Amino acid sequence: MTYHNTAPLLVTELSKKYGDFEVLRKLSLEVTAGAVHGLVGLNGSGKTTTLECLLGMQSFDSGSIRVLGLPPDQLHRSRGGVVSIFDNPSLHPQLTVRQVLEHASLLCEQRVRTPAQVEALLGISKYSHFKIRHLSLGNRRRASIAQALLGSPALVLLDEPFNGLDAGGVDDMLALISTLNRDEGTAFLLSSHQLPYLEKICSHLSILHKGRIVVSDHVSRLFNSRVSRLLVSCDDVVRACAIVQDIPGVQIEDNSAPGLLTLQLEDVSPALINQRLVQKGIAVHELQRERASLTSLFHEITARDPVHDHLLDAGHDTSRTVVEADL
Amino acid sequence: MNGFVAALKAEIYVALRSNSTRLLVLLPSLIVIARAIVVRLTETGQQAREALLGQEAEAVAGTNAWGHFVDSFSTGLTLLSLTLVAYAAWTFASDRDSGALRHVLIRRASRPALVLAKLSMVYLLALCALGLMTASIGTITALLWDFGPVVEDGYELIGSAEIRAEVGLGLRLALLPLPAALAFGLLVSVCAQSATQAVTSALGITVALDIFKGVLGERAYYLYATFQPSLIDQSYLQDVSRLVRGYSDVMIDNRVLQLNEWVPLPQMLLFVVLALLLVRGKKL
Repeated sequence: MTYHNTAPLLVTELSKKYGDFEVLRKLSLEVTAGAVHGLVGLNGSGKTTTLECLLGMQSFDSGSIRVLGLPPDQLHRSRGGVVSIFDNPSLHPQLTVRQVLEHASLLCEQRVRTPAQVEALLGISKYSHFKIRHLSLGNRRRASIAQALLGSPALVLLDEPFNGLDAGGVDDMLALISTLNRDEGTAFLLSSHQLPYLEKICSHLSILHKGRIVVSDHVSRLFNSRVSRLLVSCDDVVRACAIVQDIPGVQIEDNSAPGLLTLQLEDVSPALINQRLVQKGIAVHELQRERASLTSLFHEITARDPVHDHLLDAGHDTSRTVVEADL
Repeated sequence: MNGFVAALKAEIYVALRSNSTRLLVLLPSLIVIARAIVVRLTETGQQAREALLGQEAEAVAGTNAWGHFVDSFSTGLTLLSLTLVAYAAWTFASDRDSGALRHVLIRRASRPALVLAKLSMVYLLALCALGLMTASIGTITALLWDFGPVVEDGYELIGSAEIRAEVGLGLRLALLPLPAALAFGLLVSVCAQSATQAVTSALGITVALDIFKGVLGERAYYLYATFQPSLIDQSYLQDVSRLVRGYSDVMIDNRVLQLNEWVPLPQMLLFVVLALLLVRGKKL
């Protein structure tokens, strides 16, 4: 079965209620072929519910889901075309790593790697004969990823893939996603709180907030359309201010520090600032552009939420994970 | 069909590497062997005591293996059905708790195929446990007692062929409710919110049925559990145990035997169909 020229994942107006509480409200999402699509949201925004609906693990009230052209309850017909790695590693605790992989091989119709190969790929060969219940969370997660890589899936869904991984593990994971995406054209949907990691790896991003996708676009478009900040280190700050304030789209944010000027740019290239200053005889020592980050964008969107503000006021900082991720 | 076969293969792979399934297969055999040895030791002690007191040992019922053979089956099947019901209740719910179920569903099998694979695995385990238990009972009773006709004062009360026929019928009737009991365990597993809840509910309901079948009167004959060897045993195997010891006061009601033959199967099918229907809408 081939999935070329079709969106591996297409969700249209998906709605889901838990009792009276509307978890998903007409959520629409498209993961295009070959994309690494990040899905971010606060706790309780509906990320896990969305993934569970996509995978047919729970029902939904209305809307439509097509994963590799199949409805969620028919995913098994993709014959390994879609795999998922869950937040909880979801493995038989009494089996060893090798046994888990051999067990997964039985379910994998088109195996492209052997258990030994995926163990080596994930760096868990030395734990091959360890029982899953004796492994650390990070290594359990690696084993979970390893079993997903036995085949050649067209779409991989990952729920919080960086949880429990150390710095090296995160780098390995990012490299693995990149390699699979580049070499095999595998599309990914990653649900995570770890915004800086998503920013590094994703080609597309969607922000899920209060059951809706509020922002969804290609990463470059998402950030290029936004205001960026430029730090200019130069000799004469007063003269530099006079020069740049005439350029449309430039705002002076701070000129109080000696030899340092902070500007806000809207659709203005830093090269233009540099050119103008040098033309007027001002020596520019350094230009440092601070682009809008996913973290800032996420803060901007979630801060609009009165519920979120209320939680912050009450001392429950729901953006704490974002801050921790930054650290 | 491919999904069912793949899911069954995966189930067998896990079962072959699990200590709990090994224990499940071995435990009934070990218990019946232990029971037979304890009974034989008690009998020997009793005979020695009677010999010392100058009394004649009760030879007929004591030394014929058939009564012990049937009693061992009664004990073994009681234990086997309880442990297998617990296993059937645990198998689906525990995989849902651990999330292991999801990989099978996403990659290879539909929900109904997975439920049928789980049920087939439970039946395979039951067959293995039953085979081993039969071999164990046959061997241990042959070693400790003698198989033969029941003879009293030189008269043959019941011949070997008749005994074998009665034992065969008793075992067949005792085994017929087992598939229904296991399907019930799996149904509870599908309905339950966790593995703990599934096992406690399935065992609790099974024991409750055992208690209540005594007060249901005639209506109890429409319940599969009535015909199953159990803690409060009303199965035909109890009557067979007395028959093969030469007791002549055994009353056999043919209508009850017919109900024993026909009631368990539809109830098993009902449990399976319910499990297949309920699993479709279940959050996994």
